[in-house]
Amino acid sequence: MTTPALELSGIEMHYGFVRALDGIDFHVKPGEVVGLLGDNGAGKSTLLKVMSGAHQPSHGSIRVQGQAQTFSAPRDAAAAGIQMVYQDLSLVDAQDIATNLNLGQETLRKGALGWLGFVDRKAMRRSSERELDRLGVRTAPMTRPVEMLSGGQRQVVALARSAIRVNGESQGVLLLDEPTAALGYEQTKNVEGLIRRMADQGIAIVVVTHDLPLCYEVADRLVILNRGRKVADLPTAGADRDHVVGWITGSRPSMFAA
Amino acid sequence: MTTNSEATAAGATPGAAPAPAGSSHVEAMPRAVSVLVFLRDRGIFVLWGLLILVFAFWCSPYFFTVDNGLLIANAGALTALFAAGVGIGIMTGVLDLSLPGTAAFASCVCGWLLTHGSPTWVGLTAGLACGVVVGIANGLIALRGFNPIIVTIGSLSVLSGLAAVIAGGYTFPGLNQLEFMGTHRYVGVPAPVYIVALVFLVGTVFLTRTRDGIRLMAVGGNAEAVRRAGISSNRYTVLGFVISGVLAAIGGLVSTAVVTEASPQASPQIIFNALTAVALAGVALTGGRGSLPRVLVGALILATISNGLTIRGIQPYWATVCTGVLLLGSLMLERLIQASVSERLMAANLSVHQKKV
Repeated sequence: MTTPALELSGIEMHYGFVRALDGIDFHVKPGEVVGLLGDNGAGKSTLLKVMSGAHQPSHGSIRVQGQAQTFSAPRDAAAAGIQMVYQDLSLVDAQDIATNLNLGQETLRKGALGWLGFVDRKAMRRSSERELDRLGVRTAPMTRPVEMLSGGQRQVVALARSAIRVNGESQGVLLLDEPTAALGYEQTKNVEGLIRRMADQGIAIVVVTHDLPLCYEVADRLVILNRGRKVADLPTAGADRDHVVGWITGSRPSMFAA
Repeated sequence: MTTNSEATAAGATPGAAPAPAGSSHVEAMPRAVSVLVFLRDRGIFVLWGLLILVFAFWCSPYFFTVDNGLLIANAGALTALFAAGVGIGIMTGVLDLSLPGTAAFASCVCGWLLTHGSPTWVGLTAGLACGVVVGIANGLIALRGFNPIIVTIGSLSVLSGLAAVIAGGYTFPGLNQLEFMGTHRYVGVPAPVYIVALVFLVGTVFLTRTRDGIRLMAVGGNAEAVRRAGISSNRYTVLGFVISGVLAAIGGLVSTAVVTEASPQASPQIIFNALTAVALAGVALTGGRGSLPRVLVGALILATISNGLTIRGIQPYWATVCTGVLLLGSLMLERLIQASVSERLMAANLSVHQKKV
């Protein structure tokens, strides 16, 4: 068995007296897509924030590629090769696609101009085109401002930006928060295809969603939370929809002995 | 609108239209949209051209001459400097209202040093340093989560008070050593025009071509996104305040040089003129967009109008009326273009998200 790209064990999270997460074990392997399901308040977002470094768990340990890690800020998680795609996408609307893709890791020009901090726009455009082509999602010129893209294109830009970043770290981890919440049918299909292609390149992907069909389409494995506990962890293939819904709503008892 | 036909012709130039990339599956922008976007981004240049054309005929033969051109440039110089400060501030997401205070403070510090026997360069450096210090102070206070508008109103009050304290309630007259950057002409061109040209050139290159400039603009557009990209956005917020503080100091020093007198008077008129130029330039108050060349043209439009009307012997009050009408008109035009662009993008099945105006 390969080392999980990301592994959490015994994660607990308390907010005052509220126990948001209770002894969660979770892992995702390189090239695997895990669908993280649960009703509102089940703890999905909290767990995602623990993985992305936004929250520090009260108890429990995090391992990335087998190495124990503690994240005190999202920057630490990013440095360990974990990238999060936020539901609001976090794009800079007025800037073009190439600038958004390269934000925070701009290519500087060679020589004296580079010393002065001049960026090499052409090189950034070329590398952006190359990356998007590799993901098979190039639909608009790199010079187009993000505000003039459709919802689907914006989602693709946000996903691609994170994919580019984790690829640099060899096998990284992508955390997706409701990636298709704002999209129409066809755009959703495109994003599903993109998620699969990213996984095929060896990226470990966690998808948090309400969208059951999306999970069945892209996820290899489903992890279901209910009231801060993990109630199910099973391969998507052969998972009965009624059972899954039962676990989500809490009408079906946990797979695991209490 | 009369500008329409002109803009259509101008829109044919390749610079504005997004260049279609080589690949065939990359969709091209509808033509009408490129024209409209051009009009939105470059419309102010067209407007300025039209104004010059109108005045050239109406005020013939006095308006369209090199001398008068220099006069306009010189008259617009101070507004342009402050407008650059306000503009960069707004683009990076901070509205710095302390500019007149910073300007008065910087010029009084410089005036005090010069009248107490310091060399000219020491006075000027100290003046610029005031801009940096004020910017850092403003930035650090605003980072504590206070509203930047209130913070800078507070520092406006503090600074104009301090300037008056330094000047002891009077002014520092007779600063003739500053004449080289005030009324002196080089190759026939007044010194402030060179300063403005330099400031805008450096500023434009910085904002569009360098990493820090691009990040600065990105922070203005979406600070959270920049933070999530692993960049310390706070540093850039402070940088925005520092740049606008330094530009205010430059503006204050140049005004001092022009009248060879440092005055502690912090006129709020400065900020309103600058804001008018910035608004004419279509810089959205929400930040993250806009361009310095447009701000420069905005300031020049104000100067052009007042110059042309003065030549015709029309009361100067009408210039303000004219400016106001232009500003409101440009707002409406912008709204119109915006609506039309979204509509066309929708029609072309590209769709566009809700735009913040």
